[in-house]
Amino acid sequence: MKRLGIISLFVLLFIAFIAVWNYSYFEGQEEAYIPVEEEQSIAVIPSETGVFKRSDYALDYADMPVDKAHQRTLDTYYNNRAFHGAPPSIPHPIDEMQNIGENSCLKCHENGGFVEKFGAYTPVAPHPELVNCKQCHVEQQKQTLFKTGTYARLRAPEVGNNNALLTSPPVIPHQTQLRENCLSCHAGPSAPVEIRVSHPERINCRQCHVPSTNELIEITAFTRKQ
Amino acid sequence: MFKSISSRRDFIKKMAKLSAITAAVSMFPGILFADEQEAGLPEGNFDWKKGPCRFCGVGCGILVGVDNGKAVAVKGDPNSSVNKGLLCVKGYHQTMCVQSSDRLTHALVKKNGSYVKTPLNEALDIVANKMKETIAQHGKDSVAMYTSGQSTIPEGYVASKLMKGAIGTNNLDCNARLCMASAVAGFLTTFGADEPMGCYEDIDHADYFITWGNNMAEMHPVLFSRMLEQKNKRGAKIIDFATRTSRSSTASNKSILFEPQTDLAVANAICYEIINNGWMNRKFVEDHINFSKGLTKMGYGTEDNYKFKDKPTKINFEDYKNFLEDYTPEKVSKYSKVSVKDIKYLAAIYGDPNKKVVSYWCMGMNQHTRGTWINNLVYNIHLLTGKISQPGNGPFSLTGQPSACGTAREVGTFTHKLPKGVVMNEKHRKLAAKIWKVPYERIPAKPTYHATEMFRAVDRGDIKFIWTQVTNPLVSLPKTSRYRPGMEKDSCFVVVSDVFPTPTSDVADVILPASWHIEKSGIYGNSERRTQHWDKMVEGPGETTPDAWMTIEVAKRMGYGELFPYSEENHVEEIYEEYTQFHEGAKHGMAPLEVLKKESGAIWPYVNGKSTQWRFNSKYDPACDNDKDFHFYGKPDGKAVIWQRPYEPAAESPDSEYPFWLNTGRVIEHWHTGSMTRRIPVLHKAMPNAYVEFHPEDATSLGIRDGENVKVSSRRGHCILPASINKRGLPTKGQVFVPFFDENMLINDVTLDAFCPISKEPDYKKCAVKVEKA
Amino acid sequence: MPIKSYLAHPEEGKKEELIKAISQIKQCEVIPAENKNVLVVITETEDETQEIILTKKLESIQSLKLLALVSGFNSPKNN
Repeated sequence: MKRLGIISLFVLLFIAFIAVWNYSYFEGQEEAYIPVEEEQSIAVIPSETGVFKRSDYALDYADMPVDKAHQRTLDTYYNNRAFHGAPPSIPHPIDEMQNIGENSCLKCHENGGFVEKFGAYTPVAPHPELVNCKQCHVEQQKQTLFKTGTYARLRAPEVGNNNALLTSPPVIPHQTQLRENCLSCHAGPSAPVEIRVSHPERINCRQCHVPSTNELIEITAFTRKQ
Repeated sequence: MFKSISSRRDFIKKMAKLSAITAAVSMFPGILFADEQEAGLPEGNFDWKKGPCRFCGVGCGILVGVDNGKAVAVKGDPNSSVNKGLLCVKGYHQTMCVQSSDRLTHALVKKNGSYVKTPLNEALDIVANKMKETIAQHGKDSVAMYTSGQSTIPEGYVASKLMKGAIGTNNLDCNARLCMASAVAGFLTTFGADEPMGCYEDIDHADYFITWGNNMAEMHPVLFSRMLEQKNKRGAKIIDFATRTSRSSTASNKSILFEPQTDLAVANAICYEIINNGWMNRKFVEDHINFSKGLTKMGYGTEDNYKFKDKPTKINFEDYKNFLEDYTPEKVSKYSKVSVKDIKYLAAIYGDPNKKVVSYWCMGMNQHTRGTWINNLVYNIHLLTGKISQPGNGPFSLTGQPSACGTAREVGTFTHKLPKGVVMNEKHRKLAAKIWKVPYERIPAKPTYHATEMFRAVDRGDIKFIWTQVTNPLVSLPKTSRYRPGMEKDSCFVVVSDVFPTPTSDVADVILPASWHIEKSGIYGNSERRTQHWDKMVEGPGETTPDAWMTIEVAKRMGYGELFPYSEENHVEEIYEEYTQFHEGAKHGMAPLEVLKKESGAIWPYVNGKSTQWRFNSKYDPACDNDKDFHFYGKPDGKAVIWQRPYEPAAESPDSEYPFWLNTGRVIEHWHTGSMTRRIPVLHKAMPNAYVEFHPEDATSLGIRDGENVKVSSRRGHCILPASINKRGLPTKGQVFVPFFDENMLINDVTLDAFCPISKEPDYKKCAVKVEKA
Repeated sequence: MPIKSYLAHPEEGKKEELIKAISQIKQCEVIPAENKNVLVVITETEDETQEIILTKKLESIQSLKLLALVSGFNSPKNN
């Protein structure tokens, strides 16, 4: 009896072995699947993606109160800049002198908010993905000049005369490079009064507001090439 | 609401400006300042008049501010449920195009190689006489008319009546053949009835929006904004399924890219997943669906006189299931470049019975050599899961032009169509003959030329007289490198009605000055079956006349006056009254004119004072009468059809000599061939010329920098354009994209006139090109 | 806060120069006529003294032949 038992055990093991071996052989015949992976190594159309950044908060923007006592104007906005389009200098003293900026700047400037110490609303950075802040934004440690000079002036775009018809949406009178995200400057309590929009919840800004690129090249009216 | 612009100081400044300008005008009569004269004026009491927008198929309601007989402002109509007061940049500025200095104000007749200003009556005499002469000498089929999906309903109606009822030829086709024919063929083969079964209110109910090859953020912007609103408020998701990364892709939750033409395979793979995972709605399929298959390997229509007629054969569900075995996600993923994960993701969205899904598509699926098939396939997905004709659940074929539905499809300005039905059907011909009061034998039973064939016939000399209205074929046809010399030939007398001079009017023998949008009354029909009416708002300059009236005047001169007994003042209303007789009934009843005048449009079928928003669903559609929950009454047995359609490659794929795919399309700033929008300063300055988009890696390997001139050439022609890298859109590697609005950079010289054999719509999205520095 | 509008006539052939010169001044807005030699100039200043300084500055521009006042308003500073 015992012998029968042992032999049947081994037979069972042998059958099991053959079964499993066959199964794995046929499984192995199935074609290997090579997944399709597209690696995006470049920033994808920044001038288009930029508009939709912060759009998750668009509804929140519409509910934000308007704080008349602490709002900025275009004058305060331009005071910080050598010419319109220049990177603003840092108007407040900073603690960490040696780092590149990154989180110590972004902790306030990514989402804005009221700062008691400076009595103002933090402007929101339109390009928070660029983390080497101090490459372009520097402090103003002194207000006097080394030598005087006649510095050329550049007229900044104005508010109120950018629409073609009375009820048309105004055109974008400035270049959008590094300022693709409209909401960061045009909405919220840190937005300069003159450019604060009445409808931040509409997200797809460039559906109605198109760039007027006269700053780069003069574009005259359309004429047919005969 | 924070108003940053008006303040007392600004108001005073404007008054000061105004008085200085007035003083200057009185001192120097004829003095001109740049647009400043109009821009600073304070808001007076205008008249705000309502109407539909002149541009895309969304059909937003607009209010035009008219002051002293001039249109000075445009805003969205807050009462319109389509756009709820919002427009897009083209809509806001549309009325400015008529202020362009080269507007056509008088008829021009070509005499000895140059255009001579002619009184309109004389020009119409010339047109009528030439038409009569050509018919007498060469027969009825030697004259043709080519109208438009931007013509108003009355314009399309009188053109159809003139050609088919009065003259007796089917040589009438329109540019909607180039944009919606595949959608129509898809509707007719699957449902037997044209036009979407849902409406825009679906946006307010859907959980998922899946866009198939269309860039809604730029092309149907107001609808996209509504979708974005739902995304923020309710957490709806937008999935962009396209061949190129566009503005819409960046705003969507997920962007899935596929290799051109493989949308056929991916749609089938989704159906495979739905059936194999048990997500099919069995009861719906048993009760309401038949299965069919048609012919395959049909060719691409690139030869002249190409003829094709599909032969449907009935199959059963098992056959269909076996057919789908070729389209497993693993197999499809190999050539479509869509990962298996993404295909299963899409299938899971469609398959989940608790999720409401709306599929949107436009030219990516319609301008396709298998356009009818891909339309059928997306309907298959919705029919298998029963997601159709319910609020927030269903396929929605978006229309490109403002009245391709209203005029081209409903009035039937195609070679084979009548206002109700088709010329091949005796009953339909009898009905048309009765309403038009013409002998029934006069309406020919055989269709003649569709758009591409029509222009081929002009080239061959078979058509000797052609009249185009409200369209610019020499910029918008594919392979214009053939059709432009064809139209220039002496063998064909060309009459062009347009508002501005265009490359088409450059080859015309007679140019007729047409009224622009608000200079005439009219009726349009948009994508969601909404008919909208507007009254004339301003006077047109010079001798500009509405196209419908010019057609009527020519008809009168040809002796058909008693068929067109309309008055000049009221012809729009009279024509609409006559036209609605064709569509009486619960399935297609049109709203009476009083309703259209009071409301911001009404959706048809308009039954007992109510618009039918969701057709074929007994809960919402009074035309359903089979006591079941759905009734696809377009088909005789009340059941929709799932078509078995395979994947077939494109007409011309990239090869070693021509290694790039060429995709063409639009941008938000410009409408079609740009004849109107380029003359609007804001839009022209925002987008002054066309360009060719590259993937940055392709550009580097070719040594091309942004803005550099590049020559794009194919076997048919070439075009020189500046390069655009990573700006408005990002094509995949091996693909380039060119917008077609620029008449100075005619990309259609390069495209191929291959078309879908069933619908005859050309494929503008795929052909092979090579690229080199210019 | 004075707001004034003028018609400015340039010296012969100096229209472009005049436009450029006046555009540099921050408180002025210039609208040149397309087809005649005259410009509309609108000025806005904080108070009377500034206004006088500005007028003097304008009158001292070389390319200006004549500056004719058309209208003047004095509006309070708050909106």
